[in-house]
Amino acid sequence: MNFFEVLVQEAKLIFTDVAIVLTIVGGVVFYSFLYPQPYEKESVSGLSVSVVDLDKSDVSRDIIYKLNTTPQVDITRQDMSERDAKEALEATLVKAIVIIPAHFKRDIALGKSPTIAVGADSSYFLIYGAVLEGAMKSVLTASVKLKVANLLKANIPLSSAKDAYTPYAINAINLFNKNNSYTEYVVPAVFILILQQTLLIGLGILGGGVNERRTRGEYLHFKEAKTYQVMLSRYLIFGTLFFVHMLFYFGFSYELFGIVHVAKMSELLTFGTVFITAVIAFGLFLGALFSSREIATPVILFSSLPLVFSVGFIWPIEAIPDLVRYLSYISPSTPAIKGFLELNQMGADFNAVLPSYTILLTQIVVYTILGYYFINKNRKTNEQI
Amino acid sequence: MLNALNFAFLNELREIKNSWYKLFLITLLPIFSFAFLIFTFHNGVAYKLPIVIVDKDKSDFSKKLLFNIDATATVDIKYRVDSTKEALWLIKASKAYALVEIPSDFKRDILLQTQPKVTVMLNTQYILVGKIIKGALFEVIANSAGEIEYVKNLVKTQNSTESIAKISPISLQTTPFFNTYKNYFLFLMSALLPSVWQIFIVITTLVSFGTLFKAKKEKEFFGGEYIKMKIIGKLLPYTVAYMLLGLLFLFFIYGTKGWIFEGSFAVVIFAMFLTVIAYQAVALFLFVTGFDYARSLSLGAVYTAPAFAFLGVTFPTSSMNNIALFWRDLLPIAHYMEIQISQANYGVDIFMESSRLLTLAAFSLLFIPVFIMFHKRLQK
Repeated sequence: MNFFEVLVQEAKLIFTDVAIVLTIVGGVVFYSFLYPQPYEKESVSGLSVSVVDLDKSDVSRDIIYKLNTTPQVDITRQDMSERDAKEALEATLVKAIVIIPAHFKRDIALGKSPTIAVGADSSYFLIYGAVLEGAMKSVLTASVKLKVANLLKANIPLSSAKDAYTPYAINAINLFNKNNSYTEYVVPAVFILILQQTLLIGLGILGGGVNERRTRGEYLHFKEAKTYQVMLSRYLIFGTLFFVHMLFYFGFSYELFGIVHVAKMSELLTFGTVFITAVIAFGLFLGALFSSREIATPVILFSSLPLVFSVGFIWPIEAIPDLVRYLSYISPSTPAIKGFLELNQMGADFNAVLPSYTILLTQIVVYTILGYYFINKNRKTNEQI
Repeated sequence: MLNALNFAFLNELREIKNSWYKLFLITLLPIFSFAFLIFTFHNGVAYKLPIVIVDKDKSDFSKKLLFNIDATATVDIKYRVDSTKEALWLIKASKAYALVEIPSDFKRDILLQTQPKVTVMLNTQYILVGKIIKGALFEVIANSAGEIEYVKNLVKTQNSTESIAKISPISLQTTPFFNTYKNYFLFLMSALLPSVWQIFIVITTLVSFGTLFKAKKEKEFFGGEYIKMKIIGKLLPYTVAYMLLGLLFLFFIYGTKGWIFEGSFAVVIFAMFLTVIAYQAVALFLFVTGFDYARSLSLGAVYTAPAFAFLGVTFPTSSMNNIALFWRDLLPIAHYMEIQISQANYGVDIFMESSRLLTLAAFSLLFIPVFIMFHKRLQK
């Protein structure tokens, strides 16, 4: 059997299998639309807040007004007491409450530094952060205004009063993902994992299915085809398909959801090709281990959540136990997500991603050898029977 | 009729006893998955996050500020470089999360009161880490500025309260309600463990029915009689197993860590029961689309894998678009999570939960098409 015949046989085997096609075509396309949906509206904004103004002075009203103008906060209620506000929070009518204490204006005038209380439902981490950010901003601007006013009272000219209210200032710059967009945070990383998992499930169903048929005595083209021909065919078929998927994800989907992409095309594709090759090598190896068609999907599926959380983009890698970190390098997704984020979201040069690139190359070598060994072994065991 | 149920139930128990795979699916595999996730996040709070420093002043003022920064538990000055460019490279290569640059003549400008600017550049690609570091750096830098100001004010006023009030005329007190342990660990676990759990329910249901049909033993097993009862009997061992596993994660989240649970466990457990049944119904519904084992697994994977993102725990539902909210409504676990959270945090009474409980119960209606399809298939 020549290589071209093997290639055709393999392609037939893959594309006539509904379970495989459902995953490597249907799944990939479906996920590309579904996954970014929760974050489509981007940042958290307009959260309903209840204000309890126990002071009712011009200063407190000014702060409430400022708070309402911050994009994160939308004041929907004014409660008379802390208790009423808390009840509104429990009935989920509001997501946070802000309390301005009685004698607020007087205490400021007396130089006593009164306290504004902010409470938010921190079960929802982001809500808490968003309300806090909005409250901080409005309180800080009010604070600065008062400080400058105090300095002016002390006969300091406005220009130096403006500068001298604090000895030095902080100039904060958000380097990447400047708008704190959740789409830009989650989607680029999850996309890589989707490409890997669907590819692995496809190869796993294929590999397991072939093993299963062999135990039933169905050899198909495997009697004549050589192991390297079979492996090379799968590299080519899955590689071509997922190269197209990758272009679709990084091109079409990125544009559709307005995700920043800054990598040089050549570097992105170089890195991407190595990533896809590593996943195929891994999938060929895993497929050789599965004894039936149905083992791949559960195994790959169960690994998804642990994999996405051990990469270090949701939870910092410094806080993840070493054992989990090392284990996660079994999967090509770990170095790949890191590398892709650096190249395409953060604009790193290729030197910066060389460590990840090297790990992927190593995985290709290791898994290809393991895959070859196990596929060969499976074939020989059955030929003896 | 009850005999049929009993027969199917006992038959499935025997199957589980004889199959390592089925046994693992309801014992070791989910427990190991829970344990792995718990272990991954057990450090809870992030600390010693690496940052890079560019100190262009190298005065005693800048050294004092850097000393204060390094003293915080959150960040760790891992690199000190001379140029901004080098520092940026370290951030792009994910070696540092932020850079703090102190300008030249920092000390001189402070003394001249021309307010120099300390530049903080953050890797906000990782939103959570960016937020943690931003908060920590702002606090320490502002406090260090306050120290200088305080001394200055103290010299003038000789009164410490007034000196503080001059630095910040208004202070802000923040209280996280409900989830008083502002610990990201339990917060994540309370949603992650149920997300893993629902994957297992669907997969196990599909394995149980898939293996039967794949082995072509369905005619023998159902025998054309009491099909509904036999389906229920076959599901029952897994209903029990996943209730126990559900109680296990519930116990872990609220029992062992002293996380306050305000509401009624009875309501949550009832909701959990409805959730298990809902997922079994959904799984069988996916199965009857073709009675094909491998294909139904692919559908189950597509359905269960993205659930976590739609729970509204990491990203609030109030900010989701309608497509996301629609998909979310199709996931029993999303309704269950609402009940778990509202019970744990607010302890609302069962009447307020009734609409959520009804929604969960409504998923069982899927058994109607499931029974019809099974009848059609088996009487052919």
